Amino acid sequence: MANLELIILIVLVLGVFAFLGGKLNKIIGTAFTILGSGFEFVSIAYYGFNSALDSTIEFIPYLSFMPTALGVFFGIILTFVFFMVSFFNPYFIDKYKYPAVYSMLYLFSLAGVIGVFFTDNFMTLFFFFELVVWTSLFLIPMGRSRKAASIYYGFSTFGSFALLFAILVMWGANGGSFDIETGLTALNGSETILVFMLMMVAGFAKLGAFPLHIWLPKVLTKSPDPVTAVFSGGLEKLGAFVSVMALLKLSPVGINIGVLDMQLTHYVIAFLGALTIVFGTLMAIRQDDAKKLLAYSSMSNGGYILVALALMSTTSVSGALYHVLAHALASTAAFLAIGAVARQTGTTKMSELGGMIHKMPVTYLVYLIAIISMAGIPPMGGFISKWLIFQAVIDKGLIFISMAAFFGSIGSFLYVFRPLAALFLGQELPEFKKTIKEAPLLMMIPLLVLSALNIFTGIYPTDILRLINKVLAELGIAQLTIDTWTITGNNGDLFPALIAGMFGIGVGVAFVIFIVLKKSKKVGLMDTYTAGNFIYTEELLHYSVDFYAPLERLYAKHTDIMKNFYKKLANKVKEFGAFVKYFFFTNKPEVTVIWIMIVIAFLLWGDVL
Amino acid sequence: MISILNVLLGLGVALFGFVLQTSVGGINRKVVARLQKRRGPKWYQEFLDIFKLLSKRAISHGWVFDFGVIMALGGIIATAMFMPVTNNIIAFEGYDNFFIFVYLIAVGMLGMAMSASGSGNPLASIGVMRALTTMLAYEIPFMLIVLTIIKLSGTSSVSGIAAFQQMSNHNWFAIALPLGFIVSVLSLMGMLGKKPFETYIAPAEIASGPMVEYGGKQLGMLFIMHEITIFIEVSLFVHLFLGGAENIAIFLVKYFLVYTVVNLISNVNGRFKIDQVVTFFYKWPLFLAVVQVIIAVYLGWVIL
Repeated sequence: MANLELIILIVLVLGVFAFLGGKLNKIIGTAFTILGSGFEFVSIAYYGFNSALDSTIEFIPYLSFMPTALGVFFGIILTFVFFMVSFFNPYFIDKYKYPAVYSMLYLFSLAGVIGVFFTDNFMTLFFFFELVVWTSLFLIPMGRSRKAASIYYGFSTFGSFALLFAILVMWGANGGSFDIETGLTALNGSETILVFMLMMVAGFAKLGAFPLHIWLPKVLTKSPDPVTAVFSGGLEKLGAFVSVMALLKLSPVGINIGVLDMQLTHYVIAFLGALTIVFGTLMAIRQDDAKKLLAYSSMSNGGYILVALALMSTTSVSGALYHVLAHALASTAAFLAIGAVARQTGTTKMSELGGMIHKMPVTYLVYLIAIISMAGIPPMGGFISKWLIFQAVIDKGLIFISMAAFFGSIGSFLYVFRPLAALFLGQELPEFKKTIKEAPLLMMIPLLVLSALNIFTGIYPTDILRLINKVLAELGIAQLTIDTWTITGNNGDLFPALIAGMFGIGVGVAFVIFIVLKKSKKVGLMDTYTAGNFIYTEELLHYSVDFYAPLERLYAKHTDIMKNFYKKLANKVKEFGAFVKYFFFTNKPEVTVIWIMIVIAFLLWGDVL
Repeated sequence: MISILNVLLGLGVALFGFVLQTSVGGINRKVVARLQKRRGPKWYQEFLDIFKLLSKRAISHGWVFDFGVIMALGGIIATAMFMPVTNNIIAFEGYDNFFIFVYLIAVGMLGMAMSASGSGNPLASIGVMRALTTMLAYEIPFMLIVLTIIKLSGTSSVSGIAAFQQMSNHNWFAIALPLGFIVSVLSLMGMLGKKPFETYIAPAEIASGPMVEYGGKQLGMLFIMHEITIFIEVSLFVHLFLGGAENIAIFLVKYFLVYTVVNLISNVNGRFKIDQVVTFFYKWPLFLAVVQVIIAVYLGWVIL
């Protein structure tokens, strides 16, 4: 048995050690992050799989834990993401202003994540939720962007207050108890709808879903590369966790849309999820910064999770949970691969890069596998989850939502291919010919492990689906039918290993054809067909700027709608502030006194009534 | 259970698809030639082209250039192995899920796109960009129609959908869903890269797009891949809309008719610009597809 309290305490203590060690030497601090997150992952995964997590409290008062299958599932994924990313810390620590603080906060936010997933008390949940927000808030400006941090703070606070409000409403309904299980069931009538909406606001804000998505691309672009990977693969998934709570555990019963056989509340969430998919896809297609592109792709994938959770069927929820895993693995791998390129070249702009494959072939392969999974192409993990989600969407026959899902899925081919073509392939630009080397060995470890897992989740999903089945049982949803090798959906079976095997055979046949034929003569990249022109500079033969220009042109006018909306909103808030200031906080004390008198009179009058 | 015989049958289907499409393509060159008052080449001319290319010594632009070609052909062979030909000739019964064809075919496409971009020629990258954009345009209406078909037949297995249409009281989906049929013919033309949607090949404009740098065995392998891709797309259409095939003769007739009709339509058309392709598909085909889904799924007006 492993004590959860002890697990959290150990990581907090290691965080303090990381700070003290980091003061002596930056690298020692980061070594503590690897050690700490590795320890957390091993203990959560090992004891979680064997359901041997112990929840007794000895040291910290007011805390209470209760390991659930859902918490274990999320906990394993997130600690794993933290563990994998921590291998990158030693190579990026030089760029930060406060390296010791970075190492400490990295472990503190991990502690917060574990706390959120394993508690059975709303106040503890809120405390750990805020711990994550506050620690990550200070991790972001390590990349020297205060603006990104303040935008993140704004949206996170909005989500946090919504969550706190929801918790207090439940506290009132539940007779002054913060217990999660009874709290979610104690509500009735309009209170349920209110709490549902508030919790979904918190989930949307954390997941970066439309319309609360503005912070996501900003933060993921501006924060340091390891933090970006943690956000996209890990912290964003907290939103999915809160959404599971609201959509499946709370699940208000309101107006039922007869023709769709769906709750209005759930349809609205699914619709917003669909908008998130479309919006994220369209924005990702037109980005020049590879990190920003992947940030929008995270947003779009978050939309899939929301849509699938809102449908509430066996295939859709298992698809959503599998997508949480598949996307965490794929996007962490992709962000880390881009991070490795950024470390070697100093930029992530696709228009400035080209031909990195010749110097960084392993990073290229890692990125390739990651995007195949992200685009939902077999034989990688992303295909399983997309297949499950499509099964559910088609089974329900939801036109607009399935349209968005198909659009996002085909659109993802477009945007994931862009960094591949512009950054890794194409002409090898002269400034990178001599100086660039493959990423160092320690950075290779997470990249290779993540790639192996991307493939493994696509070939043999059974064990993971069994764990998901446990979660489904806990949520009161019928279990997914799985065999050792096959998955049964609503309208067909899937045999992932067969697909992968046949792909292997196909490639084998193609390889034999290739190898028995005459050997090719190797020529340089500049030795290409140029329609009779003489071109000697690589830049002129490299197509990377405005890759999808003809498509972008079709919607370029409408890309700033949400940004403008928030700008206008901010202006209105400012105006309101000025108005309040003008009336209530003038230089004349007598005006203020009068207002105070009026307010007091009003309050007393209310009391009499 | 899957045995080595299934795998061999699958490889046989892929080989059959290659031979079939290359012959049908050759015959179609003659058909088109007659349309333009020419005599046209021999029907086996395409075989000669491919085998000549395979025997020649080629150039290579680095390892990803070769690796992409292998991945492309491998992915397409793998997809073809799942394709049912008739009711009885099917390699992996029960696992011929529609989504496998949509997504496994994408591995092949990705391999080819990767290899083309790896050649370092900007025209190839432009061609890939256009191909992907075209895909974004035609897939959405097509997927909506397939959604309707899966919803009506209750299965996403391609042979299961064909069997559903062969039942005595059921019509082909081409008749049951007339609007959807129109949409899917247009989408099929986009898939096959036929005019007016052949923007990503555009020989006179971007020098055959993705193909620009290839020669010798790489080009020969990509030709094989292209023929098998067409086989997959056209037979998918035959199974989804034209009731599949009870025996091989019916399959051959249906296959030949579909490919020839599409080819004839394409030969009297010009070429769209790439943004016109997108706006075209997102206007009428998408509208018709949505109307078709609403009247078929929600109102239940299906001509059965």
